[in-house]
Amino acid sequence: MKFQIEEVTVYFPYDNIYPEQYTYMVELKRALDAKGHCLLEMPTGTGKTIALLSLITSYALAKTESPIKLIYCTRTVHEMEKTLAELKFLHNYQVKHLGAAAKMLAIGLSSRKNLCVNPKVSSAENRDSVDAACRKLTASWVRSMAAENPNQPTCEFYENYDRAAGGAVLPAGVYTLEDLRAFGKEKGWCPYFLARHMVQFANVVVYSYQYLLDPKVAGIISKEMQKESVVVFDEAHNIDNVCIEALSVSVRRQTLEGAIRNISRIENEIDRFKDIDAGRLRAEYNRLVEGLALRGDLSASDAWLANPALPDDILRQAVPGNIRRAEHFLHVLRRLVQYLKVKLDTDKVEKESPVSFVASINSDAGIDQKALKFCYDRLHSLLMTLEITDTDEFLHIQTICDFATLVGTYARGFSIIIEPFDERMPLIPDPVLQLCCHDASLAIKPVFDRFQSVVITSGTLSPIDLYPRLLNFHPVVSRSFKMSLTRDCICPMVLTRGSDQLPVSTKFDMRSDPGVVRNYGKLLVEMVSIVPDGIVCFFVSYSYMDGIINSWNESGILKDIMQHKLVFIETQDVVETTLALDNYRRACDCGRGAVFFSVARGKVAEGIDFDRHYGRLVIMFGVPFQYTESKILRARLEYLRDTFQIKEGDFLTFDALRQAAQCVGRVIRSKADYGMMIFADKRYSRHDKRSKLPGWILSHLRDANLNLSTDMALHIAREFLRKMAQPYEKTGSTTGRKTLLSQEDVEKLGGNGAQEMLY
Amino acid sequence: MNNSEKKRMNGEAEEENEEDVEDEGRDAWERTYTDERSWEALEEDESGLLQPIDNKAIYHSQYRRRLQSLSAASAASRIQKGLIRFLCVVVDLSKAAGEMDFKPSRMAVIAKHVEAFIREFFDQNPLSQIGLMIIKDGVAQSLTELGGSPEAHIKALMVKLGCSGDSSLQNALELVHDTLHKIPSYGHREVLILYSALSTCDPGDIMETIQKCKKAKLRCSVIGLSAEMFVCKHLCQETGGSYMVALDEGHFKELLLEHAPPPPALAEFAIANLIKMGFPQRAAEGSIAICSCHREAKVGEGYICPRCKARVCELPTECRFCGLTLVSSPHLARSYHHLFPIEPFTEVSARQLELSRVASKTCFGCRESLLTPGTNKAGPCAACTKCKQYFCLDCDIYIHESLHNCPGCESRRITPAAASVTMS
Repeated sequence: MKFQIEEVTVYFPYDNIYPEQYTYMVELKRALDAKGHCLLEMPTGTGKTIALLSLITSYALAKTESPIKLIYCTRTVHEMEKTLAELKFLHNYQVKHLGAAAKMLAIGLSSRKNLCVNPKVSSAENRDSVDAACRKLTASWVRSMAAENPNQPTCEFYENYDRAAGGAVLPAGVYTLEDLRAFGKEKGWCPYFLARHMVQFANVVVYSYQYLLDPKVAGIISKEMQKESVVVFDEAHNIDNVCIEALSVSVRRQTLEGAIRNISRIENEIDRFKDIDAGRLRAEYNRLVEGLALRGDLSASDAWLANPALPDDILRQAVPGNIRRAEHFLHVLRRLVQYLKVKLDTDKVEKESPVSFVASINSDAGIDQKALKFCYDRLHSLLMTLEITDTDEFLHIQTICDFATLVGTYARGFSIIIEPFDERMPLIPDPVLQLCCHDASLAIKPVFDRFQSVVITSGTLSPIDLYPRLLNFHPVVSRSFKMSLTRDCICPMVLTRGSDQLPVSTKFDMRSDPGVVRNYGKLLVEMVSIVPDGIVCFFVSYSYMDGIINSWNESGILKDIMQHKLVFIETQDVVETTLALDNYRRACDCGRGAVFFSVARGKVAEGIDFDRHYGRLVIMFGVPFQYTESKILRARLEYLRDTFQIKEGDFLTFDALRQAAQCVGRVIRSKADYGMMIFADKRYSRHDKRSKLPGWILSHLRDANLNLSTDMALHIAREFLRKMAQPYEKTGSTTGRKTLLSQEDVEKLGGNGAQEMLY
Repeated sequence: MNNSEKKRMNGEAEEENEEDVEDEGRDAWERTYTDERSWEALEEDESGLLQPIDNKAIYHSQYRRRLQSLSAASAASRIQKGLIRFLCVVVDLSKAAGEMDFKPSRMAVIAKHVEAFIREFFDQNPLSQIGLMIIKDGVAQSLTELGGSPEAHIKALMVKLGCSGDSSLQNALELVHDTLHKIPSYGHREVLILYSALSTCDPGDIMETIQKCKKAKLRCSVIGLSAEMFVCKHLCQETGGSYMVALDEGHFKELLLEHAPPPPALAEFAIANLIKMGFPQRAAEGSIAICSCHREAKVGEGYICPRCKARVCELPTECRFCGLTLVSSPHLARSYHHLFPIEPFTEVSARQLELSRVASKTCFGCRESLLTPGTNKAGPCAACTKCKQYFCLDCDIYIHESLHNCPGCESRRITPAAASVTMS
C-alpha cells in the first residue's frame, strides 16, 4: 500500500498496516525531519523492522536533493539475514511502483568467516583463523612476493577483484550475504573486499553493532560514512553493555605469557630483518619521524585493526621519540608486560583509577603516558613492517597494547581492578587484571556526534528515560508504543506465594529455604500438567539453577515433571545447548511436550525465540539481579552515581527488570501467537519493580493477577488456555478494536490527524 | 428496507457484544448461576406489571447467524456431502480424563455426551456406521467394530469407563487407519478424537503416521478438553478436519454435535459413484427364523435380504452372507436433506408485515397470530424466499433444524393452480 505521512509518500509492501506501525512511522519521520536522535520502544511481533525500513527508504526517495544513507545495525548474523530479506521484499515492491527511480544498493557486511568463498580459507574453524588465513593470501607483501615467485599461493578471488579495480562494482539491488557470495563466485571476485569497498556507495548497509561501536573495527569500516546517515540500532536494549564491552580489556596470566612469546618472536624477526633488509626498518623510523599518518598510505587489505577511539587531536600528534625505533619499542613493551606480571602477583583485590595506574607505571617501569597512548599504533606499524601475516598468533600482545593505549588515553570513566581469584572459587588462583569501562557514552559518542540521526529501538527499553542518561544524549523523540491486539493474547501474572501461602523469592536470605525450593517445584509440576507443548523456565544464574534442579531431583519433583514433559537444560557449552534446543523443539512438535531450563542473561535468553507452541508459558523464577558482589559492577555503580546521578538501586532494578522482560518477551513473536508469563517472586508485586516492566506487558497485567498463589495461577492459566484455543477473527473489524488498517483507513488517519484517532 | 434491517442487525450485534463483555467480566462462580438467574428475566411494563423478557428474538438472531454462515459456506463452493460415513470415535481415557475440571469428571461428561452424539449421529446419518475406540495406558483398543447400532456402542462404552495411564495419539491413529483403510471408496472415512491429555507418548514418529492418514484420506477431527496442542492442530490441518477446544460442558456438547451433520466431501471424493443397495422386506409376523447377526432363532421381527434371503435384525447394515448394503427408504430420505437444505428465510420487519397483503397476519406453519399479544403491533417473523409465506420464529427454527421441508413450498407443489392464484 502507498500512503502519505505529511509530505513523504511511504511505500509499504503489505496491504494492511498495524496502527502502531503507522504511529511509529510518524514519530520516526519527525525525528528525521528534526535531524535528531530518537528512542522508540515497540513490542516484538508488530513489524518494527519493516516499518523502519519502509519509512526510511521512502524518506530517502522523497528527499532526493539531500540523499540519506541508512546504516542498520543488528546483533546477530541471523537478524541481519532477516532484515536483508525483508528489505529485498520492500525493494521489489518499490521498484514495481516507482520503476527504476527506486533502485538502490543495499548490502550486508559481515566478517570474512561469513563471506569468504575461497574454499581453502573458509574451511578454517573460527573467525580469527579465517581472518589470518585470508591475510596470508592477500597481504600486499605476499602478493608482491607472488609476483616474483609463482609458487607463492594467493587468493584468486582477491586477485581478480584487484585486477578489476574500479570496474568491480555491484549493480544496484539488495544483496543478502548469500547473494553476495553467489555474486562473488559468479564474477570470481572476493565478496568480502567487494562489500567493504561498496559500503561507501551503498544506500543501505546492514551490519553488526561492532562495526560502529568497537573503535578498533569502526576505524576501518565506518570511517568514510557520510554525515547524512540514519543509524539504526535494532534490539538495542543492551546497547550500554555492548558499548562498555567494546572498551574493556582483561589481562590474565596466559595473556602475559603469550605476550612475552610474541615479543621474543618479534625480536627474532627484527634481527633477521637487520641482517637482510636493514633499510626497511630505517624507512619505518623515518616515516614515524615525519609523523606520516599511518592509515593514509596503506592499501585496503592491509589495514586491519585501527586505533581505539582516540580524539582526532591525538592522531595528529607524532609518535613519541622513545618508541620510534623498533628495539626501543620492544623494550618498552617488555617492561610493561613485566610490570603487569608483578601487578598480577597479588593475593588481594585491588582497585585503581587510570590516573594513579599510569603514574605508578611511570615511576616503576619508566613508561610515560604518551608512550602508552601510542602503543597500539606503534605495534600495528611494526607488524606491518615486519610483514607478519599470522596475526591470530599475535592476539596477546595486541591485547596488551590495546590496554596500554586505553589506559593512556582516558583518565575518567575507567577503573583497573585486579582480582587474584574468582570469588565463587576462592581456592583456585586465577588472577585477572581488568580495565573496565563504566561509561557507555564513551564508545557511542562518536556515533551520536557524527551522524545526523541515530535511532535506538527495541521491544524492551523501559524505563525509557534512563537510556538517554546512560548514553548521554538528547533524543528529540522518545516514545513507547503499545501493541494493538484483537484479543488479550498475553497473560502476565505475578506469583508471590506457593499453594501453602508461604512467600517465594530468590532473595539471598530466602533462596536456599527448602520451602521456597519446594514451592517453586510444585508450581512447575502443576503447570506442566495443564500447559500443552513447550514451557520455558528462566533462573537467575547457573549456580542457582544447578542447586535447585539438584534438590528437585532429590525430592522427586523432577520425576513428577518428567511424567508430563521432557526436561532440557541450558549449559555453558554452546554445542550442548544447541542440541538441547533442537531436541526441545522436536519434543514440542511431536506432542510429547517439553520444559526448557534456562538462565537469564544466557545465550538462550538473548537470542532464541520460543514462539507459538515452543513456548506457551514462560516462568521467571526470581528477579535476575546482577551478581552484586562483583567488583566491576560496584565500580560501575559508583561511577554512575557520581557522574549521572543514577542511584545504585535504580540501576540494578532497571537492569534486572529489562532482563526479565527480555526473557518473558521470548514467547510472543507475533500477534497471532499467545502465551503466559509468570513472574515468580514476591518482589515483583512491589510497585518500584513492576513499574519498570515495558508498557505492553504492564497493560495486560491486571490488578487481580498481581499477588497470586500457585492454585490461583493454575486456575487462571486453565481458563486462559481454553479461551485462547478458540478460533478468532484476525482483523478485529467486528469487535470494534481495529488492529489492521487498510488503505482507506490510513488515508482517513492522514486526513484528520493520527493522534486523535489512535489515542 | 435495507437500512432498517442493517440498523436492526447492528443493534443486535451491539447487544451481543455487551453480553459477551459482561460474561467475560464474571467470575467462575458467578457464571455457574447465569443460566438460572430467573429474577433477571423479568421487566416492568408501562403499568408496572412484571413481564418476562422476550428472549426469543435474541435466540433467533443467534440461530440465524449460524444458519447464514452455514449456507454461505455451502454456497461458496457447491459442496458435495458424503452421506455414507464411516466414523471412528476415539475416546481418550488416559489419566487426564479423570480430572475434575468438568463436573463430576471429564470422563463422565464425555460418556454422557458421546451417548447423545451417537444417537444424534444415527438420526442424521442413517446410512453411516460408527466404531468406538479408546486410548488407555498408552495403547489404543477397539471397543466396537464399525456398525450401525447405537445401543451396542453405548453399552460397550459404559462398560469400559475408567481411566489410567498415558495417552498415545499415534497408536490411536494407527488403529483407526487399520480399521478404516479397507472401507470401500464411496464411504467417507472420518475420525473424531476426544482428547483430554495434553501430551502424547508415542512409540515412533507421529508425523509419519499423520502423513499415512492423509494418504488414506482419513478426515481427522479433534475436540480437546483442556488446551490447544500443536500436534493435534497439525493433524487436523493436514487431514482437513477441524480442531476445537471446549470451554465448558455446554460448549463441549455443542462442538460434539457439530460433527453429526455430514461434513463437505474432500475434493478427492468428489466423483460420482454408483452403489448397490438392497431394500429388505420386513419379515412376516409370526414367522420363525434364525437371524444372521445374533445366530438366534427369533419370532417375527427382522428383515429379509432381497438377494440371499438371510434374516437380519436391524437396518441399516450389511448382509453377513452376500455383503449387500441393506437400507430402508426412510433412511435414504432422511439423508437427503443434507444435500438440498432449505434456503434460510429472509427476515421481515414489522413495517413490512403491516404493509403486506397477507390479511390474516398469522404464521403459515402453526396458524398463531404474528402480532404481539396484548399490543396490536406486528412482531418479528420470517418469510420463505420461494413461496413468500410468513412464519413465526419458532416455526422458522423448527423447519430448518428438524423438518427440513418448507410447508409453504410443499403445499404449493400439490396444488399449482391455487399457488398461482395466490401469487397473482
